[in-house]
Amino acid sequence: MEPLDLDLESTEVELPVEPMLVNVGPSHPAMHGTVRCVMELSGESIERVDVQVGFLHRGFEKMCERGTWTQVFPYVDRCNYVSPMLNNVGFALACEKMLGIEVPLRCQYYRMVLGELARMSDHLTCDGAMSMELGAFTPFLWMVKARDLIWDIMEEETGARLTHSFGRVGGMAKPPTDGFKEHVRAVVKQVLSILAECERLLLGNRIFLDRLEGVGIISSEDAISLGWTGPCLRAAGVPYDVRKAQPYLKYAEVDFDVPVGTNSDCLDRFLVRIAEMKQCARIIEQCLERMPDHGAVNVDDPRVVLPEKDEVYSTIEATIQHFKIVMEGLKLPAGEVYSYTEGGNGELGFYLVSDGSGTPYRVRIRPPCFLVTAGLERIITGQMVADVVPCFGSLNMIGGECDR
Amino acid sequence: MPTFLLDDREIEFNPGDTVIAAAERAGVDIPHYCWHPGLSTAANCRMCLVEVLPPEGRPALLLDVLRYDDQKGDYVMARKPKLQPACQLGAAPGMRIKSQTSEHAVEARAAVQEFLLLNHPVDCPICDQAGECRLQDYWLEHSGKKKRMKDEILHRPKAVDFGPTIVYDAERCIVCTRCVRFCDEVVGDHVLDKRERGNLGEIVLAPGRQLDHDYTLMTEHVCPVGALTAKDFRFKARVWFLRSVRSVCQGCATGCNAYTDYDPRNQTVYRHRPRENQEVNKYWMCDEGVLDYRRVHEGRLLNARVLGKKSSTEDALSEATARLAPVAKDKVAILLSYSHSSEDNLALLELARALGVEQAYAAGRPDGSGDKILRHVDKNPNRAGVHQLAAATLGAVPLDFQSLVRAVEAGRIGAILALGSAVEDAEAAVHLKRVPVVSISTFEGPLAQAGAVVLPASSWAEERGTFVNAAGLSQVSEKAIEPQGESLPAWRHVLALAGRLGVTLPFARAKDLEKVLNARAPRGSTGPASQPAAGVSTTEAQA
Repeated sequence: MEPLDLDLESTEVELPVEPMLVNVGPSHPAMHGTVRCVMELSGESIERVDVQVGFLHRGFEKMCERGTWTQVFPYVDRCNYVSPMLNNVGFALACEKMLGIEVPLRCQYYRMVLGELARMSDHLTCDGAMSMELGAFTPFLWMVKARDLIWDIMEEETGARLTHSFGRVGGMAKPPTDGFKEHVRAVVKQVLSILAECERLLLGNRIFLDRLEGVGIISSEDAISLGWTGPCLRAAGVPYDVRKAQPYLKYAEVDFDVPVGTNSDCLDRFLVRIAEMKQCARIIEQCLERMPDHGAVNVDDPRVVLPEKDEVYSTIEATIQHFKIVMEGLKLPAGEVYSYTEGGNGELGFYLVSDGSGTPYRVRIRPPCFLVTAGLERIITGQMVADVVPCFGSLNMIGGECDR
Repeated sequence: MPTFLLDDREIEFNPGDTVIAAAERAGVDIPHYCWHPGLSTAANCRMCLVEVLPPEGRPALLLDVLRYDDQKGDYVMARKPKLQPACQLGAAPGMRIKSQTSEHAVEARAAVQEFLLLNHPVDCPICDQAGECRLQDYWLEHSGKKKRMKDEILHRPKAVDFGPTIVYDAERCIVCTRCVRFCDEVVGDHVLDKRERGNLGEIVLAPGRQLDHDYTLMTEHVCPVGALTAKDFRFKARVWFLRSVRSVCQGCATGCNAYTDYDPRNQTVYRHRPRENQEVNKYWMCDEGVLDYRRVHEGRLLNARVLGKKSSTEDALSEATARLAPVAKDKVAILLSYSHSSEDNLALLELARALGVEQAYAAGRPDGSGDKILRHVDKNPNRAGVHQLAAATLGAVPLDFQSLVRAVEAGRIGAILALGSAVEDAEAAVHLKRVPVVSISTFEGPLAQAGAVVLPASSWAEERGTFVNAAGLSQVSEKAIEPQGESLPAWRHVLALAGRLGVTLPFARAKDLEKVLNARAPRGSTGPASQPAAGVSTTEAQA
């Protein structure tokens, strides 16, 4: 065997003086979803960076143009797959705005509860993954445990843990289950206690705080000009929340605060999400109190809502109704609409164009993540390589939403 | 033009128009079942009821009615205007009519719809009409409510055999009598009638008769619901999977306008439907024409053949060249086809001209029976077009098939390049075999039999083509499906042959061919008035 210790003099190590190009992604364990960062390094600090998000492209907007309006729901599920219920409700509200219909009170609260649970699951995933990537594995496991409890509710209600496809134009696929309220109350309580434990674990941890504090700062002006919304914008001190600014469903009638940050760094983004989860719990409790236990969930409009199955099999009217909605699709009046809600990561907008037929003429989504991820370049330029991890994590990029 | 007001919209009308006809011309749909623009007015479905406002300063005509009051839980006296059926109401200047904006008309239509569906079976999943059924459309547009009747629905005769083409279902029938009126007024055959009233009303055949005239499938076409279904189309396809192109019927020289409905997924044509054209076929087609679509998939020649053996198109083209090239140009006979489009025939005529051939021959399907309604005795869709093009290209109307047979027998022909499948005298076609025959055929038939080399041509449904009907009207039939098997549009085969024979034609693409055709026979030109009567072709002596 050849000796391992080579002659040192002949292999003199030279420190590089040229900037080094480092490529991370598009398929890399540190990248959530397919995104690619080409970084130009000087030593360990990032001189320039090029963030490329176009790697995930399913042509989701184009796919919407060949089915019915109802068949869009599975697609929006897969935009933000960590909080699909918010996307479902957002899309349903856009269609309902076009039809000029409002779902019954029971359904409005039902949508709010499921939506806030989805928001909690979104934030748990983000904060959990962020801490794990910084080496804190325990909080990740605990937060994902909490998320699983929420997903148990989703499974109970919708039959699916991840991609529910539960929203419908004019209501929901099914009414709430019998034990819905007790189940939610029990889970929210557990989630809050897990959250408190995680806070104790992390917020007293010097290493964790040092990795986040003062890292990835962005000014509120920059954040606004980049089109940031949601927790990332609120961490920059701008109290913009669609639920407060343009209340939809019954958000105007429930009491909740909009937490904002002061330093606009990674720690603020982490803390804003923690605080928002507590606000979610407040909203959920108020909604559960006010949600009627009985009554219709779907609007009484044969143009949009499917009839009961046993009636489809036994009466011609219901058969026709079913036939028209399934074979031709429910018809939205010709025109266009922009409807927006507060998604997990900010303003989730749908711009719909209908030609009056049963098939969407155009579906355009304004995904919050796409615009937030566009700011990654701004916040990591000048930082150390190691800071990319918390910065990227704190933006909570969801690949499915960056489908461009 | 005088006008009246319909839902605050000004509608122009011709004196004598009904309100519904004037509205339809203006693009406003007043819902209706029994009214058909091509038939007399029956006004029995009551779906087109509208409210007519009284003239200024005059009281409305009101009826006393009992209306159920939910709060009182009892019927109370009320008044409502007398509604009028728009299909029977003559339009008058300055009339003010409320259709969708009248709460009474809307209520009446919902009630009519409830009645029509009262005893309707739950048939949509197995009904051929589903997807193009007025009951479905109007229920959602004008009712949207469940019926109030709690009783079991009345069961009626189903799948009643009305004749060789039509099956009747009394449960689905709304007794609008469109089929009865069609047979009476258009065909002049009182084979259908209605019996009983109300729930029991149904359509019946005349005693001892079957629905067997030449236009039976139009009864299915006018049926607004699934009561009459065509045996040919029953359970074959679901209409929402079908796509339509505007075509021209190939069954005879009338050239009825049609829709060819096909399934793009399996490239199969499923039916013909008439397409309105007041100049040609009004709203109708005959059974022969409706069923003519079947030829797209029946008896087709899908591969090239050399001496009766399957061959590649390339080899067949070489064989065809080997047979045509050595023959003196004046001894090549060109046989045009009355069944092919003007494009195909023009390509062949251009080849003839380039080869120096001075006289062409033409053949087509033999004559059949005709009538005074639509059916023409000439069963070829493009006789007038072929004559027109031959005269414009070679300066002479083509000679008939018998002349070709005689010329072959007299030894004046060295080889034949034939387009088409059928000839007037199928038995005489064997005489062509004395000389080498190259046939470009769509179907198995006498010409394919006689051909030493046979090239597969696509049918009219597989290529856009122009056809000139007996009245001299030039019409375009659009492409529905892709060419079947190895077949190609006939003009492409002609083009390939021309290349191998060393002559250049003035077109290489479909677009150029169309330009040449438009120059030779301007579209819309009605052709010479002295068009030879159907079935009478110019004989050699006359030429």
